[in-house]
Amino acid sequence: MPSLTCFHCGEPVAGDAPLVARVGALDHPVCCIGCRAAAEWIASLGLQDYYRLRDTPPPRAVAVGDYSAWDRQQLQRMYVHQRDGGDAEVCVLLEGLRCSACSWLIERALSAMPSVREIGVSVPGKRVRIVWQPQTESLSALLGALAHLGYVPHPLDRESLNDVVEREQRTALKRLVVAGLGMMQAMMFAIVLYAGALEGIEPSTRDFFRWIGLLVTIPVVFYAARPFFAGAWRELRARRPGMDTPVAFAVALVFVASIVETLRGGAQVYFDSASMFVFLLLGGRYLEMRARHRAADVVDALARLQPAVAERLDANGVPESVGVHELQIGDCVVVADGATVPADGELVSAECRVDESLLSGESKPLLRHRGERLIAGSIVVDGPAQMRVARVGAETTLSAIVRMIGRAQQQRPRWSRYGDRAAGYFVCALLMVTVVTAAAWLVIDPARAFAASLAVLVVACPCAFALAVPAALARSLTVLAQRGVLVLTPNAIESLIRANYFVFDKTGTLSERGLELVSSEAIGPISVEACLRIAAQLESGSTHPIADSLRAAAGEAEPARAQNLRRVAGGGVEGDIDGEHYRLGRVQFASANEAGDDDRIVLAGSRGILARFELREALRDDATATVDELRKSRGGIEILSGDSHSRVAAIAGRLGIDRFGSRVHPDQKLARLAQLRAAGMNVAVIGDGVNDAPALAGADLAVAVGGGAELAKSSADIVLAGDRLGGLIEARAIAIATLRIMRQNLLWSLVYNAAAVPLAAIGWVPPWLAAIGMSLSSLAVIANSLRIRAAAPRATAPVPAAARNLTPAPA
Amino acid sequence: MNIVFVLIPLSLVLVALAGWAFFWSVNHDQFDDLDTPALIPLSDETSSGPAEGESKKP
Repeated sequence: MPSLTCFHCGEPVAGDAPLVARVGALDHPVCCIGCRAAAEWIASLGLQDYYRLRDTPPPRAVAVGDYSAWDRQQLQRMYVHQRDGGDAEVCVLLEGLRCSACSWLIERALSAMPSVREIGVSVPGKRVRIVWQPQTESLSALLGALAHLGYVPHPLDRESLNDVVEREQRTALKRLVVAGLGMMQAMMFAIVLYAGALEGIEPSTRDFFRWIGLLVTIPVVFYAARPFFAGAWRELRARRPGMDTPVAFAVALVFVASIVETLRGGAQVYFDSASMFVFLLLGGRYLEMRARHRAADVVDALARLQPAVAERLDANGVPESVGVHELQIGDCVVVADGATVPADGELVSAECRVDESLLSGESKPLLRHRGERLIAGSIVVDGPAQMRVARVGAETTLSAIVRMIGRAQQQRPRWSRYGDRAAGYFVCALLMVTVVTAAAWLVIDPARAFAASLAVLVVACPCAFALAVPAALARSLTVLAQRGVLVLTPNAIESLIRANYFVFDKTGTLSERGLELVSSEAIGPISVEACLRIAAQLESGSTHPIADSLRAAAGEAEPARAQNLRRVAGGGVEGDIDGEHYRLGRVQFASANEAGDDDRIVLAGSRGILARFELREALRDDATATVDELRKSRGGIEILSGDSHSRVAAIAGRLGIDRFGSRVHPDQKLARLAQLRAAGMNVAVIGDGVNDAPALAGADLAVAVGGGAELAKSSADIVLAGDRLGGLIEARAIAIATLRIMRQNLLWSLVYNAAAVPLAAIGWVPPWLAAIGMSLSSLAVIANSLRIRAAAPRATAPVPAAARNLTPAPA
Repeated sequence: MNIVFVLIPLSLVLVALAGWAFFWSVNHDQFDDLDTPALIPLSDETSSGPAEGESKKP
């Protein structure tokens, strides 16, 4: 086992593990105090098995914050539901809840608290529902316990307890299973009838089986198919017939016709066709709904950007914690260092720097002066700042963005709508053909009119039409999700196929966030290794990428000896080690009498420069392969970055990209995208989303590489989770396969119907054969859609998460 | 052949039973978390854990 990764979060531990956590009888290295606390607490609860069961490492544990503000009455009214008998219920969104071992851990750890009565953890929803006794334990204690485990808790308001999504999913599942059970039963009895029709059957036995068939179809029609009837009723009232109208009509007609046949002892019944029709349609819709709900999680991520608590100044200038909903326009609010701005407003104190990366995408903290605007959801980097509230609640910019995303997710893919409309026309045409057939046979041979027209109705399979697109789409979304590609917007798959010009952001997309030390050169009397150790000492405690790479290069960590450490913004760091004063940073900072060079870091002692370190950005592992692959498919490739010319040029050179722009502002990026699109290109923008959210919004297709900010992900059409750029290539292959399969499905259902309907109309198809034909045509569409996985090439598979965590279980 | 008239109603009763059981399990959160329960038997926990944990769950 590599000893240098944190036992709790799996991140590399700097140096020789100065921190250890005692779990069982063994000491394990951990990376920080937060992780040590989390690991030891988990162990003290007797829950070490968590480390063996999990398949994804948790995020680095953060120091447990102060949650006491959550005990305020006004706040609890909005977030806590009081149940009968004095229990209280709260729903908490947990950042960092990733796998089932997490949910196991949370359930066990909270069960150990005496006041907790019920816990329900939902991994896909990233939330936990807790019922507890508020008299014995405060809400803040529960939140503290969750934070202690390493998850950042965000209580959700009371509405989320009454979970609409969950109810919708449960109802849909029930209807689907009822339709499935009913279909199987109806088919079983139908087989008896078909066999009877061939071999001979007594009319009384035949009628018995027909009545049983009717019995098992009743719940399918009256319960499972209810959404279709309700939808059709809505559509008819709005005088806008859509997909539900013909479906409801067909189900009702086949069902009623079968009842009539049963009553009068006619030639054929079609209970199996009716229930199968309902089951297949419900199946397609269920898959679509699941994909839609997965995307909805992103909206929750946005909602939690808004803080729930704010520090309001009263008339005497004394701060008090209030719930954000209590804020009024004109209130004066203090935002502490590192806290989130609670509402839109203007800065009252002199100046501060804010991180708006989650909203605008600008990665650098921005300087704001008195009177300038602060946006809710942004983070004050060097607080405290005072602001006057200008817009609250639903009026804020952040709320507008949340609403926008919510709306986008309600939309169905364009393809799906085309499919629906085609099916709608198809059913209308079909009904007319049925009427014409019936009329024609009434003239020719009235005895055969009913059988022939029913055969037309049954043999023509609108569900093959209706399933052609959704079955393929749902299948491709599932396959993509399995490979870490999350499709968030309805038309993303279509755009992905059309994209022929790829604009990459540099930092965090092609390059890693970290730096790698390329060369270090000693100039003074001290050896390179010693210089590196000094540099690492000076950078101890910093989280800057330069510090990380220097510390990594210095090797083993020593106890911190540096004193009087002082950080100079835009320059570097200085401090004393063993009585000697050192400066580390840009050339101009470290030694006043030398000209600057951007990428060099210099270490200077009191007698001048000691060493030069050259750092460069680390390329993402699969950046080269991805760019090469895109080039092979003859797509245009360009880099647009806000970074300096030399850095962008360096990365472009390493990847062999000749078109690139440096120091590009967000608005210039947008202009460039508009120019490309005007030239007829279908532009895909790939970014980490932190500093290019606007560009992502202006592209035909926006792709965000995972791990970036949640908000940027939501303005993206596709998220490559798991930080793999190569997912883009796979996604493209799968999208192209999807399109091909979809076309095959539509072509197949068209050919089948074009062949079968005329035959049925002239009375050559007995209704039982028609029913089999219809079922087979639907199954063919579904089976064809399942081929999507096989069609896609398997690119470099990610290392399975489980394999990375095969650490020996603690004793 | 007459046995069919007994067996088929019996099968219908069984289907109804299966449907009822499924509804019951959906309503009692059995389909909300399909991952965690698979892990529970893997833990060697013998002491306080299981009994207490089970009683807390809805």
